[in-house]
This record gives sequence, C-alpha cells and structure tokens, in this order.
Amino acid sequence: MNARSTMKRWELTSQQKLMIFILSMSLYGISNMITELLPEFKVGPVELKVEYFIFIPLLFAILFNPLYAALGACVGEIIFGELLLGQFGGLSELEKFIEFSLAIFIAGMLVTDPRNKRQLAIAAYVSIGIDQLLGTLIDIGKVYVGIEDLEAVPGLPESILAIEGFSFLNAMVISGTLFALLPTLYLVPRLYGKVEPLLGMKPRDGRASSSIGDFVTPRLILLGIVLVVIAGAAEFMSEADMNFFEWEWEFISNMGSGAVWISLGIAAIIFITTLIWALNRKASKRKGAAI
Amino acid sequence: MELVEQTHKQTLWEKLSVERIKVELLRTAYGHSLTFLSRFDPRILIGWYSFFAIAPWFINDKLVLFGMLLAIAILTYTSKPSVLVLIVLALGLISDAAYMLIVSLAFGGGLSAAWALSTLTLKLLVIALASIAVFSSMDPEKLSDALLSLGMPAQFSFGVAYGYRMLPILIEEYNNLLYSFRLRGRAPLRKGWLGWRSLVYMGKLSVLAFYPLILNTAKRTRTTVEALEVKGFTYAIKDPKVKKIKLAYMKVLPRDYIFLGVSSIYVACLFWLGNQF
Repeated sequence: MNARSTMKRWELTSQQKLMIFILSMSLYGISNMITELLPEFKVGPVELKVEYFIFIPLLFAILFNPLYAALGACVGEIIFGELLLGQFGGLSELEKFIEFSLAIFIAGMLVTDPRNKRQLAIAAYVSIGIDQLLGTLIDIGKVYVGIEDLEAVPGLPESILAIEGFSFLNAMVISGTLFALLPTLYLVPRLYGKVEPLLGMKPRDGRASSSIGDFVTPRLILLGIVLVVIAGAAEFMSEADMNFFEWEWEFISNMGSGAVWISLGIAAIIFITTLIWALNRKASKRKGAAI
Repeated sequence: MELVEQTHKQTLWEKLSVERIKVELLRTAYGHSLTFLSRFDPRILIGWYSFFAIAPWFINDKLVLFGMLLAIAILTYTSKPSVLVLIVLALGLISDAAYMLIVSLAFGGGLSAAWALSTLTLKLLVIALASIAVFSSMDPEKLSDALLSLGMPAQFSFGVAYGYRMLPILIEEYNNLLYSFRLRGRAPLRKGWLGWRSLVYMGKLSVLAFYPLILNTAKRTRTTVEALEVKGFTYAIKDPKVKKIKLAYMKVLPRDYIFLGVSSIYVACLFWLGNQF
C-alpha cells in the first residue's frame, strides 16, 4: 500500500516533465547570461570569477526530477549562452553537455530529503566537483590537441597545467561555496513546498524512504565512466589520428581528411546514441525502481 | 577617491550592458534576417557549419587556417552580427591568449610559445566566427525545425524556439527584480578594498533575485505547458505524420548544392595551396 502510493507520487506525467525541463532551461539560461556580465576580479595573473550559477539546476534536481532538471539546464546553456550569443563551440558543447548533466544528475540523486542540510551541502560540492574536474581534464587535453608541437615549446605545458589547476581550485572555492553551497542552503528550504504547487505537483517527500545506495549503483558509475571516456574521445581524437592525417594528405588531401571525418562522425553518432539510450534507460529504470 | 571611481564605473558598465544585451536579444529574436546565409536550407547550413566547427581542430597548417578565416570573416560580415557579440568574442580570445602567454613566460617560455598559441587562437577564431555567421543569420523557427528534422528530440527543438522568444522577457523581469531589491535594500556604506563590499552586495542580490524569479517562472511555465497541451503538444510531437506536415516546407534547392560545392572547392584549394608552401 505504502509502496504503491510512493510510486504514484514519483511517477511524473510527460507534461510535468516538460514543465521541469522548461523551468530549468529558461532559468539556467538567463543565469548563464548574467554570469557573463558579472565583473571579474583580477589581481595580477590570479583571476577570480563566477563560473556559473550551478545552484539553479541543482535546486530543480533536488526539488523535482534530477534527470529533466539536468537536461533542461544543459539545453538552456546551449541555447541561451551559446547559440544566442553566437558562441556555439561544436563538439566541445557535447562534452560540456555530458559533463554538466552528469554532475547535476548525480548530485540530485544524492539528496533523498530536501530538508537535510548535510545532504544539500554534499550535493552542492559533488555537483561542482564532478563538472569542474572533468572540464579541467578535457581543457588540458584540448590545448594538447590544438597545438601540434606543444612539447617542443618550453614552458607551455607547465603553464597550461598551472592555469587549469588554479582555475579548478578557484571554481571549487569561489563558485562552489558562494554560488553552489550558500544559495542551495538558503533557497531549497524556502522553495520546498512552495514551488511545487505552482507546477501542480506534490512535494517530493516520497523519495525519503530510499537510500543513496539505491541510486549510486555500479551500473550508474560504470555508465558515468563510459560517458566521460566518450566525451573525452570526442575532444581528443588522439595524437595518432593527427599524425596519420599529416602523412596522408601530402598525397591527396581530401581522402586523408575524409578518414578523419568519418571516424569523427562515427564517434559522434555512437556517443549521441549512447547518451540517448542511457537516458531512456535510466528514466524507465527509475520509474520501476520504486515498486 | 580612486577606488570609489572604479566601483562606480563597474556598475555603470554593467547597467549599460544589461540594456544593451536586451536590445540585441530582441533584435536576434524578432528581427527578420535577410542575409546571404539565411537564403540556404537550414539543414545544409548546419552541415556546413559542423565541418568548420570540427575541421580546424585537426588542421595545423597556418595558411589553410588563415584562408578559412578569411572566407568565414567575409560571411560573418554579410550576416550582420551584433557588435556586442564580436566584442565579447574578441575580449575573450585576447585575454585568454595573453594570460596563457604571461604564465608561460613565467615558466621560461618565450616567443615560441606565442607562435604556438597563435595556431590555437586561429582555430578558435575560425570556429567562433563560423558559429556567429551561421546562427545569427538563421531564424529561430527555422533552426528548431532543422534540428527536429535532423532527429533531435522534440523538447530540444521546442526549447530553441521557446528560448529565443522568452529570454528578453525573462531578462527584463530579472532586471526589474534587481531594481526593486536595490530600491528596498541598503547598499554598503563603505566600499572596502577594491570595492569588495559592493561586489559582495551585488553578488548576493543577484542570487536573491532568483527566488521570486523562480516562483514567477514556475507559474508561467505551467501556463505555457497547459496552453501547449490544449493543442495536444506531447502527443502530436511524437507522431511522425505531424512531424512530416510540420517540416514539409523545408526543401533543399539547387543553390544549396552550389553553395556546398563552392565551399568544398575553396577548402580543397586551400589544402592544395597549403601543400605547395
């Protein structure tokens, strides 16, 4: 009896999913534009700036459904922060999409009770930690791919590591505390029970019965790792391919490059289908999980 | 005196750019673009763009990159992008490169680092300008329909159209909320070192203003979704017949093929040139 009522509350209609998606998308999108405007603090080479308002998708992931909040936020970022400003970055957007949705989704899953402050704090740092760590690793790789004779240039590899390492720490401390931890701790208890009726939903207390262990299954972790590897591969495409490309196109340029494009295209397709499959899988699994 | 001047300037700049961005966004969202690129089929444009977004990463020949940049810069010029976007792009690229250069100098690198970095900057510039050229000359409706026909989830293509239309309104509302917070609140009396007190105050307000914004947007979202459901949105969008009718107007014409052909000949020429030198 109890299990059945929990399941009923947990299962969202497609309209409700759409609502969460739109809400997360539009609000995170506008916050993305605002963070572009906030002044940066520069003291010499040390740069302190607000990376993003990660608390917004986090709020929705905690209060409503982590999956649709995460997807909505990523779409919002792409549309408002990139397309509208004309800064769409091609493949690297896919990488950002995966990193960010993974971070928000996992953080949202960690919270079983929105009133528990410790869980909120952990979720805030987990979300920003996952996103920033993956982003930093891939950023470093990007410069390595983008510059062919990187190792031959003295001082450049070290400086990139230093810059990226510092910006990771900066993001964890500044954005993590000021724009993930504090707003989440402030806003979640205030919004809990107030914003749900506006969307025609009940507060998400049915989830309190399930523990963290139910959600962080080996399969989720494995899937996460696979997704990250694919996200990285979409960026790197390895040194070997580039060398191959350079040897080949001396002979006939378009054929040599064709091989690279084909492999790139296949990688992108595999990666998108995996993403879609994984998300469908997760959605259907979670619906059944409460039984 | 100097410190006060500095913080004052910053807020003024901020206000200016909020207004500015709103105007630019309205222009992007509602303006009819009649540019050179907007004549082509959006799917062709997306395909064309995806080449220029990915290819530069794997090309290290400066001559080829420069040739690409030249063509794309001309296309960007014809698509009349907003000045603000270009300024943001330029600032970002310059500050990024300069920053990396300074740090690499500290680690004992020299002008060779600058030469290596210029390749990266060229690549980034080609990619960014290509996206500006393509996306600023595409109507949001056309873009979202193109994405839908390319098999993107319906929510995404809906999000594009919704986002373009909604964003100016949301920014306006956020701006008003910020004003009302500032009207009722009290700014710090002393600015503090480098004006950190007022920066913290602004940061706090910009976060707090989201509380009413979330509630308002939640209400508005529900209205939107209910209005959509009256028209049967979630059922219709999954129906292949509806999709077909919706996308029937998009056709690939001979001029699209000519555009693609000319572009690929140009790129091939670049590779040939790059091979010669």
